[in-house]
Amino acid sequence: MKGFVIYPERCNGCLTCTLACAAAHSSSGDIIGAMLEKVQSRIKIIAVDGFPVPVKCGHCEEPACVDACMSGAMRKDPATGIVSNEGNEQSCVGCWMCIMACPYGVISQGREVPRTAVKCDGCKGRKGGPACVEACHNGALVLEDLEKAGESRQISQYMKIPAKTG
Amino acid sequence: MRYVIIGNSAAGISAAETIRRLNPNCSVTIISDEKHPAYSRCLLPDFLAGDIGEDRLRIRSRDFYQDHNIEAILGKKAMGINTETRHVVLENGETVPYNRLLIATGSITTFPPLEGMDSPGVFGLRTLADARNILKAAESARRAVVVGAGLVGLEAAYALYRRGLEVTVVEKAPQIVPQQFDAIASHVLKKDMENEGIRIVLNTGIRGIAGPTIWERLFGKKGKGVLLEDGGRLKCELVVVATGARPNTDIVKNTGIKVNRGIVVNKYMQTSLPDIYAAGDVAETVDIVTGLQSVTPIWPNAMVQGRYAGCNMAGRERKYGGLIGMQNTVEFREVPAIAVGLTQVNADGYQVLSHYRPENNTYKKLVFKDNILKGAVLVGDIANAGVFSALIRNRTDISQIGDRFMEEGFGYGNFLRKAVRGFSAI
Repeated sequence: MKGFVIYPERCNGCLTCTLACAAAHSSSGDIIGAMLEKVQSRIKIIAVDGFPVPVKCGHCEEPACVDACMSGAMRKDPATGIVSNEGNEQSCVGCWMCIMACPYGVISQGREVPRTAVKCDGCKGRKGGPACVEACHNGALVLEDLEKAGESRQISQYMKIPAKTG
Repeated sequence: MRYVIIGNSAAGISAAETIRRLNPNCSVTIISDEKHPAYSRCLLPDFLAGDIGEDRLRIRSRDFYQDHNIEAILGKKAMGINTETRHVVLENGETVPYNRLLIATGSITTFPPLEGMDSPGVFGLRTLADARNILKAAESARRAVVVGAGLVGLEAAYALYRRGLEVTVVEKAPQIVPQQFDAIASHVLKKDMENEGIRIVLNTGIRGIAGPTIWERLFGKKGKGVLLEDGGRLKCELVVVATGARPNTDIVKNTGIKVNRGIVVNKYMQTSLPDIYAAGDVAETVDIVTGLQSVTPIWPNAMVQGRYAGCNMAGRERKYGGLIGMQNTVEFREVPAIAVGLTQVNADGYQVLSHYRPENNTYKKLVFKDNILKGAVLVGDIANAGVFSALIRNRTDISQIGDRFMEEGFGYGNFLRKAVRGFSAI
């Protein structure tokens, strides 16, 4: 199965992915429109000790956000594997339980639509696949075969690293 | 194989889905005393406030039971279990045979043993029926009193306020949300509600609820009075009592199933009797923060426990490692807040990092013990809250992180930077 793989060491912090994400989720569909509409990016580039680290939703196998969602809006699509609170029968009420539950911290409070949680929707239905992957010229964000990539994608693997973080 | 689930909310639905996924051909039956298809109790305040209609309370599609080939016996209360013949007995005398049974009966509202609690105009808020009754009473009410400033009480208060009622909240403790939040966070949240126009009376218990006086009755008025311990009497037409809840263990009475506060289950969600499982608010499991066996009555835990119960019932062994018993989010007006795990500590051996900025209503507090994160409070800025939850749940050794915790934007990026690469499945 293919999945998002993040290579933080290849990221140079150009933020193109964030612009591409905002553009893909704006009604105009382009970057200028996204800026005028003040669309928020669903991928974040965090500065850790001066180094850029891309952070985005991993579309977990057993997503904590889905368990936490009290309205039933947050679902994992069994066919595509995409975890999203948009486009499902139930709608988000902005209770922030998913923000409390997500171990990756990649769900945000909606700015455009208040009381709605905003997260990566895998650019479902978008021609050309996820906009951030398409936009990343450094190979920091790629769609790869997860089995080939090989390592465990459990956050606990990272969380239990005893060395100084960052 | 016949699977029977008593309870049609988070734990019950999650278990039913899991059993069906693992075993497409078995028989799955859900029994509930409520007539409605599975709905979210947590959204009842939003419904009460008028933000969402009744159809938006449903947590699954209209055809959920049909699509999953689940027999739903709704509107019939399960009264008892015959563990010898393996039958569930319904209120109308019908029996439902089972091979494996899940008890997911949730919690029920408890009313303090005081005068007037059963009089008209006094409600709890747990079921859709409760919410409908409150709405009906609110139509002809001008003032409401909410007894108890826990999460349910405050959400009910805010909802009734949004419906145009004058609302007063009475709380015995010196702060609101005393179970979840510490004094500073409670203060910020209280200010937020008071700025909206809701009155909050602290440090005051109640003695009971009085009916209308003879004169009020003569003139057809519905006035009630909430009698306070300090001798005062709060006038109102509607009372919501939100002083607590207890696990709904009534069904297992006389079955010999071991009950403490809730139904005691092991790591496989099994009760003390074979082939009977329990999950959700009614079950007692290990709280990973305290390490103690206790009820962990919140929605996400019920969902997860239901899944584990479903797996084990369907024959796929899965060990439940414990979850954080207490974790909640609130946003009444404009200040969002999240509390996870231990947020108030008096004992020795705990370290606390905190940062309070009253000018912009933000507050962050982290509680540690022996280099393990035990609790977190985030007010105003709730980004990355789940990262703290994960550190608490995983009991991660945080000795190397130090006070970087308090840096703005501290989160998964810090861990990802350290790891070679992070990836995910789509």
